[in-house]
Amino acid sequence: MPTLEYFQVESTEPAGGDLYRRIASTVITDHDILRVLDRLRIFIDPEVPIFIAVGLTRTVPRNIIVSDFSGVTYDGEKVILSIADETYLAPLLELLWKRFGKDRIMQPDRFTIEMHLSAEEQKGIEELIVADPTEGLFKDLIYTMQVICPEGFKVKKQSFQNGRFWFVASENTLQEDVLPLVQQQFAIMEASS
Amino acid sequence: MIQVPITYKGGVYRHDEILDLIEDMGGYIIQKHIIAQDVVLQALVPRDDIETLRAVSRPLAGEVIFAPLVGTEIAIVSMSLEIHHLPHASCDVAEYLRTAGAKTNMIGLARGFGKRIGLLSDEERDIINEHDLVIYLFGNFETCIRQKMPTFRRGIHVPIVVTGGPSTDALKKAIDPPVAGYVGEFGRFMHRTKEAPEIAKLDEIVSEVSRVLDGRRSEIAKDPMSISPARLMDVILEQLPDIHDVTSPVPVVVQMDGVRVKLPYDPFAAQLKEVEVEKGVTVGMICDIRPSRMRDYILVKIRPFSDTGQMV
Repeated sequence: MPTLEYFQVESTEPAGGDLYRRIASTVITDHDILRVLDRLRIFIDPEVPIFIAVGLTRTVPRNIIVSDFSGVTYDGEKVILSIADETYLAPLLELLWKRFGKDRIMQPDRFTIEMHLSAEEQKGIEELIVADPTEGLFKDLIYTMQVICPEGFKVKKQSFQNGRFWFVASENTLQEDVLPLVQQQFAIMEASS
Repeated sequence: MIQVPITYKGGVYRHDEILDLIEDMGGYIIQKHIIAQDVVLQALVPRDDIETLRAVSRPLAGEVIFAPLVGTEIAIVSMSLEIHHLPHASCDVAEYLRTAGAKTNMIGLARGFGKRIGLLSDEERDIINEHDLVIYLFGNFETCIRQKMPTFRRGIHVPIVVTGGPSTDALKKAIDPPVAGYVGEFGRFMHRTKEAPEIAKLDEIVSEVSRVLDGRRSEIAKDPMSISPARLMDVILEQLPDIHDVTSPVPVVVQMDGVRVKLPYDPFAAQLKEVEVEKGVTVGMICDIRPSRMRDYILVKIRPFSDTGQMV
């Protein structure tokens, strides 16, 4: 199991910070995001009150395309998809129904999809993007931070871009621009690498 | 006759003999749970007869354990019952106190979460005041506990035990004026209590609660109640037939200074008032009967000897 490259929880109340470090490590393990999380720094000041979490993710998996989980065979106008991994079957069917209509998509059995498509429509079927893992990753990361963050911190702001994410929460109204606070935490994290 | 609170754990087989024995001794069965093939009894038994009970239960593979909290009803107030903050420490505390014999009720506050907006509604406050003791399970930050405490203690008349992340000493310093009991290093955590140090903490909570309740007991002993709550329960179970139609596992909850009867107030309060404890002494003469804020139950508080001049 991979471990975090950098993991620090700091608080203006050191005893509380230590307890929150334990909470954070339990939650990260429970939510199984250790495999994507590389660095994490959390800062909590209950006086303000504010909770800031900044971090970096490991290399994010690329988009899932049709050929990743199914074999594609062409027989004239007939295209047969043999599904190897059912995980992405539901989003694939949704996508195909939307693009070609339900009446042209048949599913004779659980692992086979038959389609009647023109030569033009057949182009790019194998490269069709079915799922974007980063979308779920972002939700999972932010949800994890929300679970870690103290009760009552309902006002939240978050961002995830190019493997860098931040989450800021407070009980009171957040200041208009939270970026300076976030940058400060990123700087501390990067300085210690 | 000094009654000792005990828990009896044994099999279903011939457990009726134990029930009869406790009754013959002059003891009271506060709660009886049959779980699959096991029987768990929470009872008050005369101190001199404990060994007899042990001797009788030995061939039945029964176990008699001292349970200091039998006959008490304790409110456990969780600062939040939010789904994404599960599992809550309050679940473990409530469960553990039950093993020590207490009847626990968990109270999740409607607007409890957060130090700034946390507050008690009048209904929550009244329900807490109907219990023998309240445990507030605070979080990990001293700042929050210091700020929240005045709101949560306003209007609470029952003893308060506070648990939280900071050490016991830090809690004592943070809370002013002092409360009845403190257990530190038990704040918010995100896992079930399984390890030995965590179980030791739960034991610490039980002993702190027992200590506080012992203080309350000795206060009550200065002006004893007109009837013992356990006996009052027995009388109600015997003379109020409708109580046996209640589907709740504990239709009459024994408290330190009264009982909670799980029958609706309007149709049954008058009937309960007329229940005869002894010849010429009715429940209404020695108790205050009022509607409980918990559902529409009846709350019976026993008046002291100095007030009624009667001891039954």
